[in-house]
This record gives sequence, structure tokens and C-alpha cells, in this order.
Amino acid sequence: MTGRWMQRLKDELAQAWAVAVKDVRVYYLTPPMIMFGLLLPFFLFFSFSVKREVTAEVGLARLLALTTFFTASSAGPVIIPLVRRTGTYDRLLAAPMSLITLLLGKTLVGTFFAVVVSVIPLLAGVLVLGATVAEVGLLLAGLALGSLAFSAFGLVFASIPARSVGSIMMPSTLIRWPLLFISGIFIPLAEMAPWARALAYLSPLTYAQDLLNHGVLGHGYLNPWLDLALLPVLLVLFLIPAAQLHRRSRVLGH
Amino acid sequence: MINAIEVENLTKYYGDLLAVDHISFEVRQGEVFGFQGPNGAGKTTTQRMLTTLLEPTEGRIVVLGHDLAHDAYPVKRQMGLVPEESNVYTELSAWDNLMFTARLYRVPRSERARRARELLEAFGLWEKRGVKAQDFSKGMRRRLSIAMALIHWPGLLFLDEPTPGLDAQSARAIRDLVRQMNADGTTVFLTTHQIEEANLLCDRVAIINHGRIAAIDTPERLKAAFRRVQSVEVALEPPEGSEPAGGWTALPGVNAAVKMGDKYRLYTEDPSALLPLLTDYARSHELRLVSLSTLGPSLEDVFLEITGQKIGTVRHEAQNDKPRRRRMGGGQ
Repeated sequence: MTGRWMQRLKDELAQAWAVAVKDVRVYYLTPPMIMFGLLLPFFLFFSFSVKREVTAEVGLARLLALTTFFTASSAGPVIIPLVRRTGTYDRLLAAPMSLITLLLGKTLVGTFFAVVVSVIPLLAGVLVLGATVAEVGLLLAGLALGSLAFSAFGLVFASIPARSVGSIMMPSTLIRWPLLFISGIFIPLAEMAPWARALAYLSPLTYAQDLLNHGVLGHGYLNPWLDLALLPVLLVLFLIPAAQLHRRSRVLGH
Repeated sequence: MINAIEVENLTKYYGDLLAVDHISFEVRQGEVFGFQGPNGAGKTTTQRMLTTLLEPTEGRIVVLGHDLAHDAYPVKRQMGLVPEESNVYTELSAWDNLMFTARLYRVPRSERARRARELLEAFGLWEKRGVKAQDFSKGMRRRLSIAMALIHWPGLLFLDEPTPGLDAQSARAIRDLVRQMNADGTTVFLTTHQIEEANLLCDRVAIINHGRIAAIDTPERLKAAFRRVQSVEVALEPPEGSEPAGGWTALPGVNAAVKMGDKYRLYTEDPSALLPLLTDYARSHELRLVSLSTLGPSLEDVFLEITGQKIGTVRHEAQNDKPRRRRMGGGQ
């Protein structure tokens, strides 16, 4: 019995990996992915950081948080409507794997894109601007765990039954943009009013930004262990509504 | 021997619209089962419920001995699905499409390449294995889509409209492949509105209309049950210089007349009684009898009878003609 479940678990993980690898190969250069996942975080960074007095390290931590957040949370909303439209999503839904496995595969896609895209500001910050990284381990954990949580966050929107990227990007943007301003990216948590800080704790971006601050600057506002513990919890919490919305689509026939 | 599919009281509402209305049927192991109906009759909805893509509102589906509501995983492992749209990954080559599907269905690593080659050769795509599917013709994509559904040796294959839009050669190749798969032991659930395709391929046919099963039987028995749609096909040529006569289409016993190219098909319940009337008519009007033959009912005739479409007319459903059945109260 245990052997059968172990085999099933092994199969499901291999299937999630197969979905992720295929999506990376197929969608890495689609125009919406380039726009929402690659260019947008850089535009945002320059919009809010140019001519403001920030050190290279603060700028780097900020840009890494923006990049992981926007790139990871864009993958699902870009890819899933496309595959729904082409009918290839049915191929995945009919395959012998659980819905959570499928969503995990899709989460890995966003994570991969976010981590790869983050390498650009990281290299630029270190090599060109001379930024130093205080805790490499925390930096890598911040990139990986933040990307996983944000990718699952994007899947919540991607699970809305729709076949056009625009129909999903609208609610996604409506939620993601306000998070930018309450998550300690442009105004550090320490400088926020208590009510604003309480609001910040509701945002997943707060914990990734704080962990990246620990990684790059060597200090953050929260305990890094709290960030390390909460980001995986958020990953799981975001997968639950995504799965429920998928089940709802199965009932509605969308 | 267990049935491949058992459906009991299957029902699907989309909001208030009743798409599938308490249908029950079985598909036997090893048969090619045709599922036919006009547009909007509930074919695709039924097929999506059978393939776990859509949740029924009511009813029970047992596939290969497993209740789909509680135990879908073993069914998914043994099921292949070819939807109406060839849902191949156009950005990937034929080979990569098959490899991805093999990984998804956990085909053992040692067998993936051999199986992919076997299928690509069988489907005439081996030479194009490295070409991206976006450069394939519609027929090639269709064949690739079927090959992907077969990569894990499924015991049950769902085929949704496999040949529309294909040239005659591709359509025939796909029909031959379906026959071959079935001969190799695969049960095939064929959703089609192409009547002749069902006639050529299916052991049994179910006709669904307005969400209900209107008839299930072998094509030949269905035809035999509709003796009133027997017909006489006649080609008559008027003397040179005169206008073609048409009054003979109103001879006694003719229920409907359909012009088919240079001949007429006269529907009658008694062809033997009609034949002498036709020859008498031709003689009295100095018409040359070019050809005369009696025909049993075709599956198309049966389909038109069952679905309430008149023989001799082509009815195109307008938007407001689509069957809409409203729920008469009660919870979902």
C-alpha cells in the first residue's frame, strides 16, 4: 500500500515537472510574458526609484522583489488562458494526475521565469553598481520562496474561467498594483504608520521584500525565520482557491 | 465481460439550460460506439462528462469498472482523448509532443522512444518528426493528436469529430487507423455528426436529440426499423428538345422526393409498388429510363427521421431554433 502511494507521489512529481518544463519551452518568449513578466517590473522600478536617494543595495533588494512578484504572478494569468483557448488545457485536465499536481507544475513555471529574470538585476546590481550581498542563503531563499508564493498567487487569477489574457489580467492588476504600495517596497515597514503596517502584513509581498532585505542588506524589519515560514504557507494557501476555482469551472463547463 | 462505459441517468444543466436529460446507455468492451446528434443535441457535453472534464449535475458514470465520481485516476490512466480541435502543442515538434504526452502518462522511459517511433510511422509522420506542429497541415495535426492519445496504449479511446475538414485521403487514413486500433482491442467512443462515418465505423450507434437518447442500435437495425424511408432512385431523360418532366414525383406512394444531381430519390414505404408506376409514367410521357434502383434507408435518413428533420429538406438551425429546455423548478 505504502509502495503504491510512494509510486503515485513519484509519478505526480514527475508529471508536475513535465508540465513545468514543457511550459517553459513553449511560453518563454510569448509577447504577454515578455510584457507582463519581464519589462513591467523594470518600468516600475525606474518609475519609482529614479532621482530618489537610495543605495545600490536598497535598489537591488527592491528590484528583486518587484521582479519576482510581477514575473512569477504573471506566468499563470498569461499561460492558462492561452492553453484554454487552444484546447491544450483539456489535455492536462484529462491526464492521470491530480489537480494540485497540475497547479504545482504551473507554479514551478512562474517560479522558473521569476528566478531567471531576477538574475538580470542581480548581476547588474552586483557587477555594475557594486552592490554587496550580505546573506547569500537568505537572498536565494527569498528569490525561490517569494517566486513560488507569487506564482501560486497568480494562479488564483488564472483559475478564473476565461480564455483571454485580458479578462484575467484586469482583476489580477487590480489586486497586484495596490500591493506594491502597502508592502514595504517603496516605504520601508519601519517608517509606516501602525495601521499601514498592519495592512502590510496582509500582503505576501511584504514577507518576500523583508527576506530579500535580510539577504541583500543584512537586516529586515521582521524575523527572517517568520518570512521563511510564512512564504511556503502562503504558497499552499494560494493553491487552495486556485483549485476551488478550477473545480467550479468543471461544474460550470467553462 | 464488463462494459467499457455504463451511464445511468446522466444529466447536465448549464444554469437553467438542460443540455443532457437523464440519459442511460452502455458501451461494450471492444466495440466502436458512435454517438451522433445534431448541433446542440448534447454530444460534446456528454463526452466531456465521460472524460472527467465536466461534472454531471446528476447521474452515475462507470468507466472500465470505476465510478468516475470517486475513482477517476485509474480511468484516466487507461483513457485516450482526441477532442474536436486538434490540441497539439504547435510550438513543439511532433516528436516533442509525443515525448511530453508520454511523460504525462508515465510511459516507462525505456519504451517512450520506441512507442513514439511506432506511432509516428503508423501515422505517416516519422519523416516530419522534427518539424514543429505549427507547420503541419490540418490532417497531419489530426493524426498527431490521435497518436498523442494512443501513446500510453489506452483501452478506451474518445474520438470527437475525427475527420471534418480533412481531405478524402486523410479522412480515409484516419478511419483505417480507427479500425486498426479497434481490431487491436481498443474500445472507441466516436462522437460524430458525420452519418456516413458512423455507418462505416460503428458497431452500434446512439442518436442523441434535445439532450435525450432517441435510439441506440446497430446501424443496420436502425435502418431496418425505418422501412418507411426506403427509396427508389430514378434518372429519367426527356426526349431531345423538350422540357424535363417533374409530375412523376407526385406519383401515389411517394412520401418525399429529393433531387440528387441528375436523378431523383423518391421516398416510399413500398418500393415494389412504385416501380411499375414509374415505368408506366416514363412510357406514357416518352421519357427514357436511364437508371432505376431501389435503396434501403440510409443511416442519414434514419438520423433525419429521429431528429425530426424532414427528408427532402435541409434545415439549418437558426439561433432561435436551438433547443433550449428550461428547468421547470426544483434545485440543481
